[in-house]
Amino acid sequence: MKHTDKQQDIRSRLKHLIEHFEHVLPGQAPIQDFVHHNTLHGYEHLVFPDALKAVHELTGAYGYEPAEKYREYYQKGRILKRDLGAVIDADSELEAQQQITQSLTRGDVYLQAMLHPLNSVTACQLNWQIEEQHALTTFQPDIPQQSRDSLLSASGGNEAGAITGLWEACMQVLEIDQQFLHPEELADMSAEYAEEMLTTLAESEQVESIDNLLLHRLVHKESDHLQAQLWSQVGDEITLRGLLRMLTGHDVMDDYRPALLRYLASWLDQGVAAWRNGSATGGFFHAWRESAMEDMVQYDTQMPDWQDQLQLVPDDPLEAVIVELKQLGLEEDAWEGYLQRLALELPGWSGMFLWRHLHPGYEGQVAPVDMMDYLAVRLVLERLYAQRLTRRKWRIEATLPTIRWYFRRRRSEFFVRYTLFNKRLPEFLSNRAQRLAGQDSRLDEDYSPWKIVADMIWNWQQSPSSDRPGRYTPYRHGWQLFRLSQSLGMDAERVQLLDSEQVEIILDCLQRLDEEKSGFVWLQAYEINYRDQFLNAISNNHRRGRWEDRKQRPQAQLIFCMDDREEGIRRHLEALNPELETLGAAAFYNTVINWKGLDDDKVTPLCPVVRTPSHELDEIPHSSAAERYQQHQERHRKRILVKNFLAQEVRRNLLSSTLAIVVSAPAALATLVGKITAPLQFGRFSALLRRNIDLEVPTTLALTAEESAPEGTEDANRHGFSDREQAQNVGQFLRTIGLAQGFSPFVVLFGHGSSSENNPHASAYNCGACSGNHSGPNARAFAQMANRPQVRTLLQEQGIDIADDVWFVGSYHNTGSEEIEWFDVDMMPLQFHQQFEQLQSEVAQAAVLSAHERCRKFASAPKKPTLARAVSHIAGRSFDFSQARPELGHATNASAVIGRRSVSQGLFLDRRTFLISYDPTTDAEGAIIEQLLLSNGPVGAGINLEYYFSTVNNEQFGCGTKVMHNVTGFFGVMEGANSDLRTGLPRQMIEIHEAMRLHVMVEASVEILTKVYQRQPPLQQLIGNGWLLVSAIDPDTGEISLFDPQQGFIPWGGEVKPLQRVEHSSDWYDGHMQPLEPVMLKQEAAHA
Amino acid sequence: MLNQIAWLVPLLPLLAAAWIGAGFVLGINRGEAGERHTFMVAVGAILGSFVLMLALVVEAVIDGAPGYLLYTEWFHSGKLSIAVSLMLDGLGLAFGTLFALLLLIAIRFSVNYMHREAGFQRFFMILSLFASAMLLIVLAGSGVLTFVGWELAGVSSYLLIGYALDRNTATKNANYAFITNRIGDAGFILGLFVSLSLFGTTEWTLLSSLESDQQTLMRGMLIAGFLLAALAKSAQLPFAAWISKALEGPTPSSAIFYGSLMVHAGVYLVIRLQPLIEQTPVMMWMLMFIGGLTALYGWLSGLVQTDVKSSLMFSTTSQVGLMFVSCGLGWFEFAAWHLALHAIWRAYQFLVSPGLMHMVTRGARPVPAWLAGQHQLYTAALQRLWLDQLAEWLLIRPVDALSKELVDFDDKVVNRIAGLPNEQSSLTRGGERQWVANIGRGRGFAGRTMEKTANAMHWFEEHLILKGSGDGLLGVIHHLGLYMQRVEQLLAQPRYLVLLILATFAVII
Repeated sequence: MKHTDKQQDIRSRLKHLIEHFEHVLPGQAPIQDFVHHNTLHGYEHLVFPDALKAVHELTGAYGYEPAEKYREYYQKGRILKRDLGAVIDADSELEAQQQITQSLTRGDVYLQAMLHPLNSVTACQLNWQIEEQHALTTFQPDIPQQSRDSLLSASGGNEAGAITGLWEACMQVLEIDQQFLHPEELADMSAEYAEEMLTTLAESEQVESIDNLLLHRLVHKESDHLQAQLWSQVGDEITLRGLLRMLTGHDVMDDYRPALLRYLASWLDQGVAAWRNGSATGGFFHAWRESAMEDMVQYDTQMPDWQDQLQLVPDDPLEAVIVELKQLGLEEDAWEGYLQRLALELPGWSGMFLWRHLHPGYEGQVAPVDMMDYLAVRLVLERLYAQRLTRRKWRIEATLPTIRWYFRRRRSEFFVRYTLFNKRLPEFLSNRAQRLAGQDSRLDEDYSPWKIVADMIWNWQQSPSSDRPGRYTPYRHGWQLFRLSQSLGMDAERVQLLDSEQVEIILDCLQRLDEEKSGFVWLQAYEINYRDQFLNAISNNHRRGRWEDRKQRPQAQLIFCMDDREEGIRRHLEALNPELETLGAAAFYNTVINWKGLDDDKVTPLCPVVRTPSHELDEIPHSSAAERYQQHQERHRKRILVKNFLAQEVRRNLLSSTLAIVVSAPAALATLVGKITAPLQFGRFSALLRRNIDLEVPTTLALTAEESAPEGTEDANRHGFSDREQAQNVGQFLRTIGLAQGFSPFVVLFGHGSSSENNPHASAYNCGACSGNHSGPNARAFAQMANRPQVRTLLQEQGIDIADDVWFVGSYHNTGSEEIEWFDVDMMPLQFHQQFEQLQSEVAQAAVLSAHERCRKFASAPKKPTLARAVSHIAGRSFDFSQARPELGHATNASAVIGRRSVSQGLFLDRRTFLISYDPTTDAEGAIIEQLLLSNGPVGAGINLEYYFSTVNNEQFGCGTKVMHNVTGFFGVMEGANSDLRTGLPRQMIEIHEAMRLHVMVEASVEILTKVYQRQPPLQQLIGNGWLLVSAIDPDTGEISLFDPQQGFIPWGGEVKPLQRVEHSSDWYDGHMQPLEPVMLKQEAAHA
Repeated sequence: MLNQIAWLVPLLPLLAAAWIGAGFVLGINRGEAGERHTFMVAVGAILGSFVLMLALVVEAVIDGAPGYLLYTEWFHSGKLSIAVSLMLDGLGLAFGTLFALLLLIAIRFSVNYMHREAGFQRFFMILSLFASAMLLIVLAGSGVLTFVGWELAGVSSYLLIGYALDRNTATKNANYAFITNRIGDAGFILGLFVSLSLFGTTEWTLLSSLESDQQTLMRGMLIAGFLLAALAKSAQLPFAAWISKALEGPTPSSAIFYGSLMVHAGVYLVIRLQPLIEQTPVMMWMLMFIGGLTALYGWLSGLVQTDVKSSLMFSTTSQVGLMFVSCGLGWFEFAAWHLALHAIWRAYQFLVSPGLMHMVTRGARPVPAWLAGQHQLYTAALQRLWLDQLAEWLLIRPVDALSKELVDFDDKVVNRIAGLPNEQSSLTRGGERQWVANIGRGRGFAGRTMEKTANAMHWFEEHLILKGSGDGLLGVIHHLGLYMQRVEQLLAQPRYLVLLILATFAVII
C-alpha cells in the first residue's frame, strides 16, 4: 500500500514539474504572435540581482553587459565616477566606508576594481605580461595620470624603478617566494622533464614497480575525489549526455539531434510541411516510437537491438519517463533536477513544446502536445545513443551505476579522461591523453599507459605553471595587488607598510566584487547617469509644459499609443501648432476585441496578451457597396489562391511545379529587379496593383449589438458592443487618461503598427498593447463609439459631457514608413471638414519631421537629409526586402512618464520615453493610477526587459544575427537547419539599445502611491524586486522622490542644473547618431 | 570588337575579390567604415560584368553570336595544348547574362542585409570570388578553364557554408560539402585527363566535333568522369545529402549558391557536352535514371521538411533531378530553359524566404490519403532516405577506423623498427632499465664475464620464463595469440577485405 502511495507521489511530482518548467524555459510564443515579455519572467519573484545570479548558475547565461563594455561607457562619459561612487556607497554589503589604512577605504579599492580589470591571470599570461609587455618595468596602459605622477614622484621619476619596486613590495607583503617567477618555471613543463621526474621519483622511493609509487596512490585519491564530485553533479547540473561528454569529449546529442529536431518540428509545424505525422489520436511519444521502429538505424552494426529496446519502453509517456530514469539508475530525489537539466539542454525547443502544451488547440492544431511526451522521447533517445557510445568505448551499458563501477576500477583512466576534457593540459600531455581516450575498448588493451599518463598529469599539476589553488600565488593575488596599487598610485613604500590583515581586507574587497556584484554596480551606475539627466530635465520643465489644465480649448486632442516611438511625432506636432494637445495611452483604447477584417477568415485578438476578448468586431462592406463587395471577394479569393499556390504548392509538387516555375519565373525576375533597384517605387506600385486587382471596397464596422443579445464570453463572443458597453468603454478610457472634460473639436486616436518585408520578427515591431498586431481597428472602433449620440447620452449620465461640436476620428500611424491612414472620414459632418483638412496636413507634416529625426540613427541613411529625402528613405526601408532593420523598434527605451503632458511637454526626450496620460487632480483615491500601474507596468517592463536581456547577452538571451535565420514551422527561427530554436530579439534590433531598467516617473503624491503599492502584491513584486524603477513628481510642488524598496519614497538628492535650450529638435539631433541628453525646446505659448 | 574584351566578364569579380581581400589585409576597408568601400567594389564589378554581357548580347543579335573565341595559348607541348578561350555561343551568352544579373541581385541584396556583420568584407570577397567562378563555368571555352571555375566555386561555397566560424555545425557541414564535392572533382580530373591524353585538348568545340569511332572505352571514361562531376555538383544521388547540409550560411548566399546558381552547374556542364553525351546512350540512360531517382528523393523528402530553407532546397534538388531526366531523354534545349527559369525562380524564393509566413494565409496542402498512410515511407522521407547514415557506415567509419589503425601500426610496428621513441611506452622502458637487478659483482676478466653471463641468464629467466603474466615468455605468447586474434578480426572487417583485394590487383597489374 505504502509502495503505491510512493509511486503515485512520484507521478504527481513529475506532472507538477511541468508547471515548474514555465519558470525556467523561455516563454516565447510562436513567432507570428511574438509579444515582448520579460525574458526572465519566471524569476520575477526574486530580487533583480538575485534572479540574474540564479539564472547564471542554472543556465550559464550572464545577465549584465561585460565589464569591458561598461568601461567603454565610462570612457565615453556615459557613466561618471560619481555615479559609481554613489552605487558603491549605497550598497550595505560592500561596507564601502570601512578604512583599510588611514588613507585608503574599501570604497577606493572597489572603485579601482571597477575601473580596471584586476582579474587574476594564469602563469602563462603572467609570463607573457612580464616578457612581452614589460609589465614589471612599465606602467599598465590604463593607469590614470594622477596615479602615475604620484608613483613617479616617489621614485624620483624613474618609471622602471617605481614599478619593479612595487612588484617586489607586493611579493613581499604576500610572502611569495620570488624564485617561482623564473620564466622557465612559468612556462609549461617539458615532456622530457616530466618523464625524468617520474623516473627519479621511482628511483628515490626505491619501489619494485611503478604501481607502488606514492605518486600513484595520490592519483587514485585525487581520482576518487573527482569522481565523487562528478557523480554528485549528475541530475541538477548534468545529464547522461553531459557526463559522457565530460568523459569522452563526444557529444551524443550531435548524433541524435538532427533526427530529434525533425520529429519535433514535424509535430509542431504550423504549415510548412505537407506531410506530418501529427494526428489527434496518440501523442508525440507514441507517434515517434512508431516511426522510429521503422528507422533504418536499427541496421547499424553499433545499434543492433534498437528495435527491441524501443519495444521494451512502456507505451505511456509518464511510465516511460519513470522506467527510463530507473534504468538510468538515478536516485529518485534527483529525477526532477535531471529532467529540468534535460529540458534546458535545448531551451528553445523545450520552451516551444511547453508553450504549445500550455496552449492546446493553438491555431486550430489538432495534434496533442504534451510535455511528458517530449521528455520521454528525449530520455529514450539519449539512452540509446549513450549506449552506443559506452558499448563502443568501454563495453558497458549506459547506466550510472555501471559507469561508476567501471571507473571505480579504473581510476587512472578516469583521472586522465576528466582532466583531458575538462581542465587545461599542456600539449605534450593532452596529445598522449587524447590518443588514449580516442581508442575504442579492445580485449587486448594494455592498461599501463593510462597509469603512466595519469601520473604524468598529476605530476605536472604540481608544477607552478598549472595554477593549482593555494594560499597566495603571484598570478592571482600578487598580480591583483600589483595592478591595484598601480591604479591607486600607491608606491612600494606604502605597500610595504600594509600588514597581513590589511592585505586580507584588500583581497577580500576584490573577492566581494565578483562578476555578479560588479555587473550590478555598473548597471546601477549606468542607470543613475541617465536617471539624473532625465529627472533634471523634468525638474527644469516644472510649470513650463503646456496642458496642465485646459482653461483654453485646444484645437485638437491627439491620442497616441504610449509607445516610446510616438514621442517624436507628438513633440513635432506640438511644435508645429502649440494649440494641439497630445495624449498617450495603451493603444488598444479600452476596446478588447477579436478583430475580423473584411478579408480575414479568422479573428485576431487585439488587446493586451493577458486579456481574452469576449467581443468580436467585424469589418463589413459599406451598405452602398454590396455589389462591388461581391466582385471584390471573388477577385481577392483568386489573388490569394495564386499567392498561396506560388508560396506553398511550388515547394510541394514535382511535375506541376515545373510548369508553375516556368510560367512565373519571368514575373519573379521583374519583381526581383524592381525590389532591388527601386524598393519604394516598386513597393508602392505593387500596392496599387494589389488594390486594383482586389477592387477596394468602402467598409464600416459592425459595431453595435442589440442590448438583448447574449452576453459575450471568451468562448462565444458577442458580435459588437451594446450601447451600454460602449459608453462604459469610452467613459472609463477618457477618465483614465484625464480627458473627461475640456474636449476640443477633434479627438483623434492613433492606432499603430509597422510594415516591413522579409521580417520573421515583424510582430515585435507592432503594437505591444495589441499582442503584436496593428491597433488601427481599436482606434477606429473607439472613435465610432464615441461619436454615437446614444453613447454620448449615456456618457452624460456618467458626468462626461461631449458636446455636438466634438468629433472623434480613428487613425493609424505606421511607425515603420511614417504613413498615416484616416478611418471613416466620410462619416464626419460637413461642419468639421475645413478644420479637419488643416489638422490632417499638420499631422502629415509632423510625420515628415518624425521621419527626418529617425534618419539620424540609421547608419545607412543620408546624413542631414532634406525632408523629402528623409521621407523617401524611411518609407523605402519598410518596402525593402533586403533591409534587416526596417525600423529600430523600441531600441533605446529607458523611461516612462505617467502624468499630464505638462510634465514632459516642451522637452526633447529622444524617443526614449513611454508617455502615458493621467491626471492626478481627478484621482484623489489613487484608483486610476492603481489600474494604470497594474496594466501598463508589466507591458513597459516586458518591452524594456526583453530589450535589456537581448542586449546584454544576445547569444544566450537573444536570437543572434538575422542573416542566418531560417524560419521553422512558422513558429520560430533556427540558425541554419539544425540548431536550437532561437528566442528573444535579433542583434539587428538591439545593437543601438542602451541596456537599463525602465525608469517610471509618476505624477502623483507620494502618499497615494505608497498606499497603492501597499495594497497591490503584483506591484510589490515588479517594483519591490527591482524589475522596474519608480520615482514620483508631486503634482503641486514638483518635488521629485525616488522609490527605494527598503525605505519607500525618499527625496531625489540630485542637484538641479540649468538645461540647455534649443529652438528646434533638429538643432539638437542633426548629425548625431548616439542617444542624446534631454534638452528644452523653445516653447511658444499656446493661444498666441 | 567587344569580343576581344569578353574575358573581362569573369575577371572583373575576381579582381574585386582580390581587391577586397588585399584591402582587408592592409586595413583599408575594415570595420563598419569600410563597408561602403567594400560593397562599391563588389557591386561595381558585377555590374560591369553584367553590362558587358548585355553589350555582347546586343552585338551578337546584330552580328550573330561569335561562338568560340581563342585568346591565347597558355600551354603547348607536343600534342598537348591548353588555351585560354571563351565560348560565346547562344548558350554561353544567354546564361552568362542571366547569371550575371542574378549575381548582381544577390550581391546588391547583401549590401543592406549584411550591414554590421563582423564578416562583411569576408562575405563580399567570397561572393565576388563565387561570381567570377560561376561566370567562368558558363563562359569557359575549354574543360580546363571550366575546371578552374568549378574549383573556385567549390572553395567559395566551402567558405560560405562555414561563414559562422564559431558554430560547430556550420564548420562541420562545410567540411562535409567540401569533401563530397571532391569526389566529383576527381571525376572532372579524370575527364580532363582522358581528353588530354586522347585528343590533346579539352576545348569544348573540339571535343564535341570528334568522330564517334574513337576508342569507346576511353570515351566512356571521359564522359563518366564529367558526369560524375556534374552529379556531385548538382547534388544528385548518391551525393544529394551535401546540399541539404549547406544551409548554414547567410540567406543571400544560400539563395544564389544552392537555390539558384551553383546547383545548376552540373546540368550546365551536361548541356555543354550534349554532342558528346548523345553518342553514348548508356550514359543517357544513366542520367535519366539518376535524375529520376533524385527527383523522387527530393520530392519525397521535401514533403516532410519543416524549415523553409530545407523545404526549398529539397524542392530544388527534385527540379534539378528533372533537368537531368530531360537531358537523358535528349531534350537538352528544354533542360536549358528549365534551368534558366528555375534559377530565377529559386533566387526569388530563397531571397524572400524569411517572410514566407507573412505571404501565405494557410498551411501547405496535406498529402493525399494514400500517401499519408505510408508510415514507413514517412520515416524514410523524414530521415532523408538515410543518405547521411549510409555515408557514415560506408565511408566515414571505415576511413576513420583505418586511420586509427594506421596510427597504431606506426606506433607499434614502424616506430619500433625504426627505433623512434614510442610516445606511450617510453616511460615504461625508462623504468624497466632501473629495475634490472644485479647479481653479484666479479673481478678481473673472468669475473666480469661470469657476472655478465649470470646477469644475462638471470634476466632471461626472470623476464622470459618466470614472469608468468605480463612481460614473460608466457606473456609474449599470450600477446602473440591476441595479436593473431586481432589480425583475424581485422581481416573479417570489410574494409580490410577491400584493401586486400586492391592490393592483390595492384600486384597482378
